[in-house]
Amino acid sequence: MAKTPKPIDSVEALQERIASMRAAQAEFATFTQEQVDKIFYEAAMAANKARIPLAKMAVTETGMGVMEDKVIKNHYASEYIYNKYKSMKTCDVIEEDDAFGFKKVAEPMGIVAAVIPTTNPTSTAIYKCLLCLKTRNAILISPHPRAKDCTIAAAQLVLDAAVKAGAPEGIIDWIPAPSLELTNELMRSADIILATGGPGMVQAAYSSGKPALGVGPGNTPVIIDDTADVRLAVNSIIHSKTFDNGMICASEQSVTVVGDKTYKAAKAEFEARGCYFLKGDELDKVRKTVIINGSVNAKIVGQRAAKIAEIAGVTVPASTKVLIGEVTSVDPSEEFAHEKLSPVLAMYKAKDFDDALAKAERLVADGGYGHTSSLYIDVREKEKMAKHAKAMKTCRILINTPSSQGGIGDLYNFRLAPALTLGCGSWGGNSVSGNVGPEHLINVKSVAERRENMLWFRTPEKVYFKKGCMPVALDELGTIMHKKRAFIVTDQFLYKNGFTQPIEAKLDEMGIVHSSFWNVAPDPTLQSAEEGVAQLRAFEPDVIIAMGGGSAMDCAKIMWMMYEHPEEDFEDMSMDFMDIRKRVHTFPEMGAKSYFVAIPTSSGTGSEVTPFAIITDADTGVKWPIADYALLPNMAIVDTDNMMSQPKGLTSASGVDVLTHCLEAFVSIMHSDYTDGIALRGMKLVFDYLPRAYDDGSDVEARDRMANASCLGGLAFANAFLGVNHSMAHKLGAFHHIPHGLANAVILKRVMRYNAAERPTKMGTFSQYGYPHALARYAEAGRFCGATGKDDREVFENFLDMIQDLFDHVGVKKTIAEYGVDEKYFLETLDEMSEQAFNDQCTGANPRYPLVSEIRELYMDAYYDREPSSYED
Amino acid sequence: MELPNEPKAFVKRHNKSVYDCGDFVAKEFAEDKPASDVFNEALNDARANEAGLPAPAVLEVSCPDGRWTIFTERFPGHSLRTQLKEGADPKEVLTKLVKLQLKVQSASAPLLNRQKDKLARMIDSVKELDPSTRYELQVRLDGLRNAENVCHGDVNPSNVIEDEEGNLYLVDWAHATRGNAACDVAMTYMLLTMRDGKEVADLYLDLYSKAADMPKQEVMNCLPIVAAAELARDREDDKDFLMSWIDVADYQ
Repeated sequence: MAKTPKPIDSVEALQERIASMRAAQAEFATFTQEQVDKIFYEAAMAANKARIPLAKMAVTETGMGVMEDKVIKNHYASEYIYNKYKSMKTCDVIEEDDAFGFKKVAEPMGIVAAVIPTTNPTSTAIYKCLLCLKTRNAILISPHPRAKDCTIAAAQLVLDAAVKAGAPEGIIDWIPAPSLELTNELMRSADIILATGGPGMVQAAYSSGKPALGVGPGNTPVIIDDTADVRLAVNSIIHSKTFDNGMICASEQSVTVVGDKTYKAAKAEFEARGCYFLKGDELDKVRKTVIINGSVNAKIVGQRAAKIAEIAGVTVPASTKVLIGEVTSVDPSEEFAHEKLSPVLAMYKAKDFDDALAKAERLVADGGYGHTSSLYIDVREKEKMAKHAKAMKTCRILINTPSSQGGIGDLYNFRLAPALTLGCGSWGGNSVSGNVGPEHLINVKSVAERRENMLWFRTPEKVYFKKGCMPVALDELGTIMHKKRAFIVTDQFLYKNGFTQPIEAKLDEMGIVHSSFWNVAPDPTLQSAEEGVAQLRAFEPDVIIAMGGGSAMDCAKIMWMMYEHPEEDFEDMSMDFMDIRKRVHTFPEMGAKSYFVAIPTSSGTGSEVTPFAIITDADTGVKWPIADYALLPNMAIVDTDNMMSQPKGLTSASGVDVLTHCLEAFVSIMHSDYTDGIALRGMKLVFDYLPRAYDDGSDVEARDRMANASCLGGLAFANAFLGVNHSMAHKLGAFHHIPHGLANAVILKRVMRYNAAERPTKMGTFSQYGYPHALARYAEAGRFCGATGKDDREVFENFLDMIQDLFDHVGVKKTIAEYGVDEKYFLETLDEMSEQAFNDQCTGANPRYPLVSEIRELYMDAYYDREPSSYED
Repeated sequence: MELPNEPKAFVKRHNKSVYDCGDFVAKEFAEDKPASDVFNEALNDARANEAGLPAPAVLEVSCPDGRWTIFTERFPGHSLRTQLKEGADPKEVLTKLVKLQLKVQSASAPLLNRQKDKLARMIDSVKELDPSTRYELQVRLDGLRNAENVCHGDVNPSNVIEDEEGNLYLVDWAHATRGNAACDVAMTYMLLTMRDGKEVADLYLDLYSKAADMPKQEVMNCLPIVAAAELARDREDDKDFLMSWIDVADYQ
């Protein structure tokens, strides 16, 4: 033994000692796992070797318990704890996942204040010291005054072995003459408290302001079911109840036997094995001796049954194992219903299993909340066991197991961790509900490296395109897929003008029966979808063919969903998400009833390849935006023949919509190499062919390329999503009825300028998006489309000019006002429109995270044709 | 103020006498009574009175003939103790006592002394208890929930006066503190057990527990504490009884 430090006999001495322990612990904190494990080994060995002398000391000093049983406890505290945790990583990196860039690093907590009880002084000291050594903590013990010498001897022994094995001097210490003042000061000064003791002490620990692992008292009720092996049950209970004279807190306090027959058998077995049933006034004598005003008499704690009988003035054989009182009340006014910390047991008779459960519940509620309960039963009685487990508010529920030895773990069940500090959860007012181990004494640092999200590229399994492709593509429905019943969804205009006739002709040719629904309004309503679904359900198609612009395709997608899954709720499905993979609502699989084919008749929305649909409830005016890959069509047929008759206005509006789709998908925070190429090609096609298609609607090549551009735009934003331009355009449409494509175009250049700010107020949140760089992205897009300039800024400006030229060519107006939006109404709705645009699903993918006030300014600028401000923060 | 020539004594003990002076009451202490105790008691009376409680107003504190005397308002009527002696139904009497005690406990008097400090000091002064037992009692006391109830500290039938209209008054605030009501109830339970027997005490506890919706266990938990504190008063007659309540172990 090295230097002898000054004993801790005052608050000042304690503070001084804590300061020096902090230094020792700081050194200990630098030890490697290998060094720590060596110390852990040597300390466990030393404690194990001294198990008999320590047990003797404990019995002599406290006058309680059984020496031979205390040997088991000491043996257990050293061997079982070592065995359980020898391989556990407790130092530095304890877990590492390279793929996820994640690791856990263990650090000690610092100084552990340990309160040690009289009932298990040496074993608890060994246990706590070993846990602290394993976790590189210092431990300062406040022993109980009645057990201080043996507690200190155990701690001294572990300390000596640890220091010999290389641990810093003074890593374990104790208060030699504990007082409430010193104990409280210790708890206030430590980093964490490991309190085992009575409720007063545990309460004090939790009141100290420091984190505490305090654990509480028990009042373990046992039930012997009428299916139990009575002999096993009774002898297990005797074995447990006599262990260290009943001082383990998990020890049985009452036994409730189900049914007369089992009760008689249990009683006979108890008697045959040397237990004494108290008779007549003996019951009251023991009752009043064991419990005083609801507390256990200190004189009987941990004494032999015969000694307790003697104190009570009752004569029993000297070899009596347990004193049993047959009682009926489970109310706290019955002394036998309390925890007795001695080989005294209450015995109840229950008329059935439910009655036994009710009794056990009541007993747990009085003084045993959260601790331990026990049941003897035929384990095939799964239902009863489940009922018992559900009813018991205890953190350990032991089946066919002596509870003293069972509760501390690893003796009768090998998954229950060995421990001498048993958490009772919030029911017992504790912070832990399990058996306390090293994991409770380390701080775990999670080291998380930046990782990029997995992305995806999802499209319909078949995208067919080229002028005249529709009948060829539809052929598959019959010849390959053998579809029997087709249902066509379209709008009135297309239906009346014979657009569906080629489809019907092809279906007839293949012998596929068909029906149609054509009552789709321009902004499709839930009501019209419901009307269509009624027809769908009656017809029971195995393929749905949607033909039209965005409205018909959106309506058909919703009808498809309602047909496949009538149980789905629109409110659930339309809930906005931050990340489509993490959304709250999971969409069901589609396709069990029907295949879905989408055939666009305009070159704009790209809905034939997107997972989006918007539907309006005509009754409430609420728009439900539904977005999920479940809604992705199975087959898209992009046939220019269906698009040749688009009027000029539609050509223009849908054409500039395509440009916006491509540009927003290209600068989206979710863009990828997969979507970039498609978006670039799509936007270039718009520049090259939109003017031609606009000027001459019969220009087949221009129509063909614009059809492709539209579909490419759809593919790009189906995967990279859009941005705040669409958010704002959605609200211009909703509030002021500007056609969607034009609403996008009228704000596009301003939004681009806003996004291109190199010093935005806030940028979008996505791990891939490292820093604001929308300007460079726009410049890259500009260069691809033919803009030039000496740097990104100049290319950007030239690109904006190109866009303006295009807009001028196809008749896009310059301001919101020019679309006939009344100024007063515009200003009245501006705040609400701005907030709704901010909240739009599209906003999330924008490279710049917008403030509502910024959206408002953008609207104002676009209304009054104000000079664009710099849009820098 | 002065004592009348032949004052009628309510109480005469070795350390104090309480006289009925018609319009007022005079509590005269023995010569060795420290002035600080006297002023503390008068201060408690005044604080309780100012908190709106039915406590006597302090009229004067003086030291005629070397004996400190507190002059207070006199309440008309008889004590519950007298009613019990005259054969009143204990349940009715205790119901009144519980009602008054609850009223007092629900009041606020933030400047009263702290109950935990007072009890800790008293337990610490009982040197005949062994240090380990004192330690356990201190831990038990320390673990009590901190509360701010006004605790008279000596609620018993002798200290409750009822006038003809049924108004109840509480006298003798020497031990008043603010703290945990359960401890105050434990004190009354103990006093009743010693003076009136366990049956009356249990009846009281039952009435209180139901009226206050407080589990009896909470009160029971305080019994060893108040018993040890009571030992500090050094009354030889009560010693054995008190000791039998103290030697209990905390559950572990």
